[in-house]
Amino acid sequence: MAQVDGRRSQLLRGVLDLCLLAVIGEGPAYGYEMTKRLRARGMSIVGEGSIYPLLGRLERDGLVETRREASNGGPPRKYYSLSSNGKQSLETGVEEWKTARDGIDRALDLVKVEVTP
Amino acid sequence: MIDFVEECRREWKRLGVPDPIANEMATDLTIDIEEAEAEGGSAEDVLGNSLFDPRRFAAAWASARGVTAPPASVEPFSPLGRDRHPWYRPATIIAVTVFGFLAALAAVALVVGGHGSAMVGPIRRIVAVPGSIRIIGPASVMPPFRNFVGTSFNVQNTAPFFVLAFVALLGALVILGLVVLYRSAWLRRESKRRFW
Repeated sequence: MAQVDGRRSQLLRGVLDLCLLAVIGEGPAYGYEMTKRLRARGMSIVGEGSIYPLLGRLERDGLVETRREASNGGPPRKYYSLSSNGKQSLETGVEEWKTARDGIDRALDLVKVEVTP
Repeated sequence: MIDFVEECRREWKRLGVPDPIANEMATDLTIDIEEAEAEGGSAEDVLGNSLFDPRRFAAAWASARGVTAPPASVEPFSPLGRDRHPWYRPATIIAVTVFGFLAALAAVALVVGGHGSAMVGPIRRIVAVPGSIRIIGPASVMPPFRNFVGTSFNVQNTAPFFVLAFVALLGALVILGLVVLYRSAWLRRESKRRFW
């Protein structure tokens, strides 16, 4: 079971930046809002660490743009949106993912799993 | 939650993250955690398993944003730094290495050459009396030198030479060991510097 969890964690880590770009592409969002969007799609980050360092890297690489917007009575929040480089990176990443996924599907579809009670 | 953010702040301070950026990150974190808790969730919903290692989380975030200052403890001792200490200059390192190597050779020669019950060495122009050797004036007598034979002398009591040789050998080995350790630390720092 631990091995399955480890594989899931590694798979998620490899595409989490792509998933973040995808949810940011839906509309500007702050950190926790992205977490909620990911969770709504069945991707829980619990046990996988936080998205903040990844957001920092995306910002440093120029894939996202940030701006401060007032929140409900509190201090202004940091909203992230896709830059033009980010949009290109998202498109390329989605193509790469689909290619990889199709190859993996073709390999794994050959496997017939028989579960004996 | 407050403890977590404060721990992050301390780590950012330690890493040399500028205050405005540290404040910005701390504020974002605080607001998000407060929102999660207001919705009935917890800080873990925001931070995942990073909640249990605030220092690592803070360092990773600062590093990802590219705002981590180089560690202060590395620069003053950097062998490639312009103001490095004389002990860390290549010429000094080479000189110490050569000295250590020569000391080791001399010590080995003393030990190997003195192996046995006596040491034999050439001696000239010394007026000697059987049983003792007078070197300077008639009153100067060196008890260890005995059994004068022709132009050489035998040293019966070689223990001090062996002690001296072993001390020199140990000293040389320590010097060479320190040089190897230093070189490996240097290489580690250099590889890290190139990597980042």
